[in-house]
Amino acid sequence: MSPAGCSHVNGYKVDNWKQNLRVIYQCFVWSGTAETRRRKVRQSDAGWTELAKSCVCHMCGAHLNRLHSCLYCVFFGCFTKKHIHEHAKNKRHNLAIDLLYGGIYCFVCQDYIYDKDMEQIAKEEQRKAWKLQGIGEKYTTWEPTKRELELLRHNPKRRKITTNCTIGLRGLINLGNTCFMNCIVQALTHTPLLRDFFLSDRHKCEMQSNSCLVCEMSQLFQEFYSGHRSPHIPFRLLHLVWTHARHLAGYEQQDAHEFLIAALDVLHRHCKGDTIRDDNGKKANNPNHCNCIIDQIFTGGLQSDVTCQVCHGVSTTIDPFWDISLDLPGSSTPFWPLSPGGDGSTVNGESHLSGSTTLTDCLRRFTRPEHLGSSAKIKCGGCHSYQESTKQLTMKKLPIVACFHLKRFEHSAKLRRKITTYVSFPLELDMTPFMASSKESRMNGQYQQTVDVINNDNKYSLFAVVNHQGTLESGHYTSFIRQHKDQWFKCDDAIITKASIKDVLDSEGYLLFYHKQFLEYE
Amino acid sequence: MCSFCEKIELTAQYDSKFVLFLPLNPHRSQSCYLAIKISNTVFQMKMEDMPLSGPDNTKLEALVHDIYSELVEDACLGLCFEVHRAVKQGYFFLDETDQESMKEFEIVDQPGVDIFGQVYNQWKNKECECPNCKRLIAASRFAPHLEKCLGMGRNSSRIANRRLASNNNNSKSESDQEDNDDLNDNDWSYGAEKKAKKRKSDKNQNSPRRSKSLKHKNGDLGKSIISEPYKYNYNTGISYESLGPDEVRSLLTTQCGVISEHTKKMCTRSQRCPQHTDEQRRAVRVFLLGPSAPSLPDADPVVESDSFDIPEGQTLMNHPQWEDSPDISPTDSASSKASTNHSDSRKLKKKKRMTLNLNSGVGAAAAAVVGGGGGIGGVGCLASGSSTSGGSSQSSISLPSKKKRPKLSAASISSTYHDLN
Repeated sequence: MSPAGCSHVNGYKVDNWKQNLRVIYQCFVWSGTAETRRRKVRQSDAGWTELAKSCVCHMCGAHLNRLHSCLYCVFFGCFTKKHIHEHAKNKRHNLAIDLLYGGIYCFVCQDYIYDKDMEQIAKEEQRKAWKLQGIGEKYTTWEPTKRELELLRHNPKRRKITTNCTIGLRGLINLGNTCFMNCIVQALTHTPLLRDFFLSDRHKCEMQSNSCLVCEMSQLFQEFYSGHRSPHIPFRLLHLVWTHARHLAGYEQQDAHEFLIAALDVLHRHCKGDTIRDDNGKKANNPNHCNCIIDQIFTGGLQSDVTCQVCHGVSTTIDPFWDISLDLPGSSTPFWPLSPGGDGSTVNGESHLSGSTTLTDCLRRFTRPEHLGSSAKIKCGGCHSYQESTKQLTMKKLPIVACFHLKRFEHSAKLRRKITTYVSFPLELDMTPFMASSKESRMNGQYQQTVDVINNDNKYSLFAVVNHQGTLESGHYTSFIRQHKDQWFKCDDAIITKASIKDVLDSEGYLLFYHKQFLEYE
Repeated sequence: MCSFCEKIELTAQYDSKFVLFLPLNPHRSQSCYLAIKISNTVFQMKMEDMPLSGPDNTKLEALVHDIYSELVEDACLGLCFEVHRAVKQGYFFLDETDQESMKEFEIVDQPGVDIFGQVYNQWKNKECECPNCKRLIAASRFAPHLEKCLGMGRNSSRIANRRLASNNNNSKSESDQEDNDDLNDNDWSYGAEKKAKKRKSDKNQNSPRRSKSLKHKNGDLGKSIISEPYKYNYNTGISYESLGPDEVRSLLTTQCGVISEHTKKMCTRSQRCPQHTDEQRRAVRVFLLGPSAPSLPDADPVVESDSFDIPEGQTLMNHPQWEDSPDISPTDSASSKASTNHSDSRKLKKKKRMTLNLNSGVGAAAAAVVGGGGGIGGVGCLASGSSTSGGSSQSSISLPSKKKRPKLSAASISSTYHDLN
């Protein structure tokens, strides 16, 4: 019996009490819409059928005033008018349930009680109802266990992270041209899902040696949330990255984007211990369906459709990606024209200030149908011959964190230079026009004029920006990261300062990190 | 009203526009463990559009008002239940924080200091322990140190070889060799003895730790190397047994490779070295790499048969030019006599003899390095030590050559030490 329960429930827990309780919850508490209520009622015990539609107080007929239902018999009564109290006294039925929130009231204790078994039933029924209503899983806040409560009581020095708190922010010492690494580390430590994963200790290391990069990331989060104010020296991280990604090793200036991909790759490889095990206890070691945290957060699917110009047969492949590299105007690859019949001019609320390019422009170019010339004929499965074709890229599945890489460093045969064209990017980004599903509906002739308000799946908000100042050969990386909603900070190696949203949006932008606004739970 | 026990504890203030719920005093009675902390802003609701009671009210508006207030009340009840449960289950206290200590963590937003209130750039003296060699290194120099420590950088193997050679030559190995390397990341440099001595004395003035030996170490950083035309090296042979097949293969693409009968080592001169014939070269490739050994490359662009100049492509790798030396080791094979004849016809220059350890691995790396951020790729010139050889290097082969400047592209040398941040 839980401490918050009472001994008086024991009298209730006899016979078929669980089923009875479930019925009460299903019919009267969590039954959701009227349809579901009616539907549910048909299935349940006949004795309750009649009364399901009449959730009113038996004494005064009101349906407000905090209606309670007696647990022992079919009786509804108001709480505020004490009708249910009278019933309890008369009939000695000491337990009643609040029909609005499902709390159990004990008349002997004169208080609401929380019995573990009963709460279990309540939770299950609530989940069932949500599923039926189409809400799906809802986020439940963490509740400490008894043991955890004890621990917490013995350690009163707790820090609560409020909006004006520095905890979670920390500088990083530059170890010698390692500003590229520092920026990526700042972006990763401020990825909310990654932070939650590591701070809740979800990594179970299976590597024998000390060289697990995921463990080092975990340690990094501990350092960031330790409350220390002096900058952290990420020398162990550097050592591990160089050990596992040899192509990055070497004291020279490197590309932050390359580092990001290499780091994600090593983390993904080292995450083996956290994959889901199937029923036999064997690990789901399918490389195509890795379920590690990196894949869950960063991996998206890019759909490539090659359409034969002769028979119009489409060959589709889906490739996984961790980032989207976008060409910029001013590079040697032609930027304009965009796709014909392009979407509205101001998607995502960006305004074309004096003709500057926007991120949406770059994305539109990325997803435009591209005519592959006669020199690149593809063998068509339908025509069984080599035909000219068009190729188009769209997003099949968007990752939770989308990283956009603006290709500012040109390494073509003709020239090597940095493209400094200003590209404006928004704080909130809607990826719906670039989805494969949108393309299909466009092709089917349905033009999406109205934005689907209910479908929030493709809305993203910016949380980190990595910038590069300087030239191709030498330069410096800094980053902006978002700590709480709308609080931005500039991270320049060891120096963290507060930044305004305007500073962020005016910056050049090299790597842009967007996070999904609405998360669905399974 | 307290929602649970209906004792009056709550005060509600009605404004024409707002309904405000003011904070409750924590209220504990026998049956209510309720402390509602509703901040002023949480349940602040604008009721501008709500009709005030008056003679103009229609029934509809009254209904709307009722529904609205019912919704609000239900929401408040939900909050009450949450707090009640938290108190009863015992985790309500988790929300409390220590107000004074929280002040320590407030964000500072002032010019000249970071968010912690600290002045910029005070972190110069941070140190960390290298996971490899366990030494304490300054944090801002950790990356270059680690590169050398792990043997990963462009120059690491060269430097390591130099150290090995110097150890073999019984010269005092310096404990600060690595520090020197850190500071003098430079791999050309062997000057004439005169210059070396001069440099050495310079160094001695500045830092007494530096070499006492006759090592011809790297010039100081930033010294223009092009101004020293007298670069040379002698090559000792390479013992093929110690090399792996890949190293052998890469070695044989650039060097003669014929194994000397006396020393059992591979000739490290160019593939057109006159001391050995092409047949010998082919034979050694078959011997070392099997019948499928790659064939010798085509003739070099340099056509002169009696020239020892290294072809263009190799210049970048083995940039020092071959100089004459009056000393010819008698241990060379008979064919070396032929070279002496050649050398007679050339102008001789007295140069200090140097020993050189060519590491094939370095050779392979050099080719790869030239591409990358514009760094200096050089293999050949490892000055290692005095010419008195202990075990390893016996023969110093004289390489007569024309007095030509090495075909260095100035760009490749003078370019690109990347700016530090």
